[in-house]
Amino acid sequence: MIFEIAVGDKLRTVGIVRKGGMLHVDLDGRTHIVDACRISDSVVSMLVQRGDGAAPSRSIDAAFASSQQPARRSLGEGGGDFDVHLDGRTIPVQIRPAGSFGRQNKAGTGAPTTGPQRVVAPMPGKVVRVLVKPGDEVKARQGLVVVEAMKMENELRAARDGRVRDVAVTEGQSVDAGAVLLIVE
Amino acid sequence: MNKILIANRGEISVRVIRACRDMGIATAAVYSECDRAALHVRLADEAWPIGPSAPRESYLRIDTIIDAARKAGADAVHPGYGFLAENADFAAACRDAGLTFIGPSPDAITLMGSKTAARQAAIKAGVPVVPGTDEPLSDQATDEEVRRVAERIGYPLMLKAVAGGGGKGMRMVASAADLPGALRAARSEAQSAFGDGAVYLERRIMSPRHIEVQLLGDHHGTVLPFVERECSIQRRHQKVVEESPSLAVSPELRRRITTAAASVAKAVGYTSAGTIEFLLDEDGSFYFLEMNTRLQVEHPITEMVTGVDLVQWQIRIARGERLDLDPEALLNPKAHAIECRIYAEDPDNGFLPSPGRIQGLRVPQGPGVRDDSGAYEGGEVPIFYDPMISKLITWGDTRTHAMQRMRRALAEYQVRGIRTTIPFFQWILEDEDFKAARFDTGFIDRKLGKGPLRPIDASHQDLAAIAVAVHLFTTPAANGVAAPAASRWRDAGRTEALR
Repeated sequence: MIFEIAVGDKLRTVGIVRKGGMLHVDLDGRTHIVDACRISDSVVSMLVQRGDGAAPSRSIDAAFASSQQPARRSLGEGGGDFDVHLDGRTIPVQIRPAGSFGRQNKAGTGAPTTGPQRVVAPMPGKVVRVLVKPGDEVKARQGLVVVEAMKMENELRAARDGRVRDVAVTEGQSVDAGAVLLIVE
Repeated sequence: MNKILIANRGEISVRVIRACRDMGIATAAVYSECDRAALHVRLADEAWPIGPSAPRESYLRIDTIIDAARKAGADAVHPGYGFLAENADFAAACRDAGLTFIGPSPDAITLMGSKTAARQAAIKAGVPVVPGTDEPLSDQATDEEVRRVAERIGYPLMLKAVAGGGGKGMRMVASAADLPGALRAARSEAQSAFGDGAVYLERRIMSPRHIEVQLLGDHHGTVLPFVERECSIQRRHQKVVEESPSLAVSPELRRRITTAAASVAKAVGYTSAGTIEFLLDEDGSFYFLEMNTRLQVEHPITEMVTGVDLVQWQIRIARGERLDLDPEALLNPKAHAIECRIYAEDPDNGFLPSPGRIQGLRVPQGPGVRDDSGAYEGGEVPIFYDPMISKLITWGDTRTHAMQRMRRALAEYQVRGIRTTIPFFQWILEDEDFKAARFDTGFIDRKLGKGPLRPIDASHQDLAAIAVAVHLFTTPAANGVAAPAASRWRDAGRTEALR
């Protein structure tokens, strides 16, 4: 079986087959032999050894959670389908059946790097400040709108340079999760 | 005292339940609509609904909570921190209903709740305060009037809410040009957070450390100070890491600052647990900042270095018992303790709140570790309240030992399904300045924004890719978080194999 897995900014091709009691995992041309033991639906204990036997096997306890990061996706920064927890780290990953990544990106449904950015409310809250108006030129990371939720004011920022096209909200307005606040193109 | 109603939620409610149970006292919890399945409700002996999820309609409703206490047959109320903990009307309403309020008197809450009145009290007790306005600036004061006051104090300065707390309604003003904007922002934030838009000005101490002194006062005139806590590691004026003792405080300074704290508390006849906050300047001078008339979030580090259960003492003091602790022992820490506040916020995405269901939870254990938490696997972090889900406390013989334990505990701590500030703390614990205790309250602001917090290195990216492949390959089709996806991958894999 072959997976395409995006970790960080790299797309990895991972092949996996069972041989005897072990899994042979081919990662970008290098084989790892994995003794996998499922602890629960969302936790796997792995003893990972490089195929050449040059390094001792590492004990890796990996746990998984489906990602709930609408904010990240809306900001066009690329979202993870999974969070992988291992070795004290939380690593977001996206998984696609082999070959589908390129198609998805061409179709524009992946993390867009061009085209209009829809800035959406990451959660229900109240718009406390609108920092830009239609026609404004904005720089990447520039604050656009401040939404209050969970007692904190959260500034939503532009993912990249652009011009504000529409502002759909006014100060004081309550918004639901996913509501489009403004559009930058 | 046979039954205590806890007028709060989350981890602090759980903390108070534990203290009560340790003392053989029954507990009654209260809960809003979205908190029906919250941990404090599950752990309490009984629980009473108090209304809809919005705090204003439940945890801030004095009448409903008093009513619940009556129905529960409670004889006392513990307010926790936040919500009604520093609300004098609530303390008075408890008293009027014949309930013991486990906290200071309504008068002490009122007095110390006004930042400007508290400053006056400190001055009267002979304790230095940060130079600034002694009276609040009225809502009517014009920009020009405020500018004149500001010029007298000198820039840079801080605008603060009179009713303030938690960094709300607080703004730094670098120069006269920033004053009108900062004034508007501080007033509007103070108005919405505290229902009181009054603000005042203070000179800004350039690189202060935040040092605070825990106190207990009984009803027999005894006030005892504890070894200091340092809370200089703050983000947006909210403490995120606290420790005790402070490396910046010598035994001689400890003597002076704790004596000063106790004299302020004595001057106002303070009872129960309270904390006096100071700014410590680089030259070793300290200034009274404010008093918190309640139990504080970071109280566990004091408990771990002195061996005193502060919540149990709040209850004992409320019962009229005498403070019979050894004053010297309270000033001589037996260990070094550190606390990290674990928030449901995504540090890699501008600390946006990250509410939702906790799909998996692994809590650190073993020697020198304490987890004060309101979270459990399968539980929800609701959107309505403060996003702090737990407090992780570690301690050891030395600061180095406590830090190493914190690194170990943070690596063990898994909160899956939501994002938390755990990676943020791992990043702080690796910082050379933090390790050397070279910091002030501007530490986080200076350090943040210099690139991603903790980039995932190539070897961990490899392991993550391998782990995901193994997970998908070995997940039975009908269960687990990846189930619907996994079958699709499997189909795709078959297609691939046929080609």
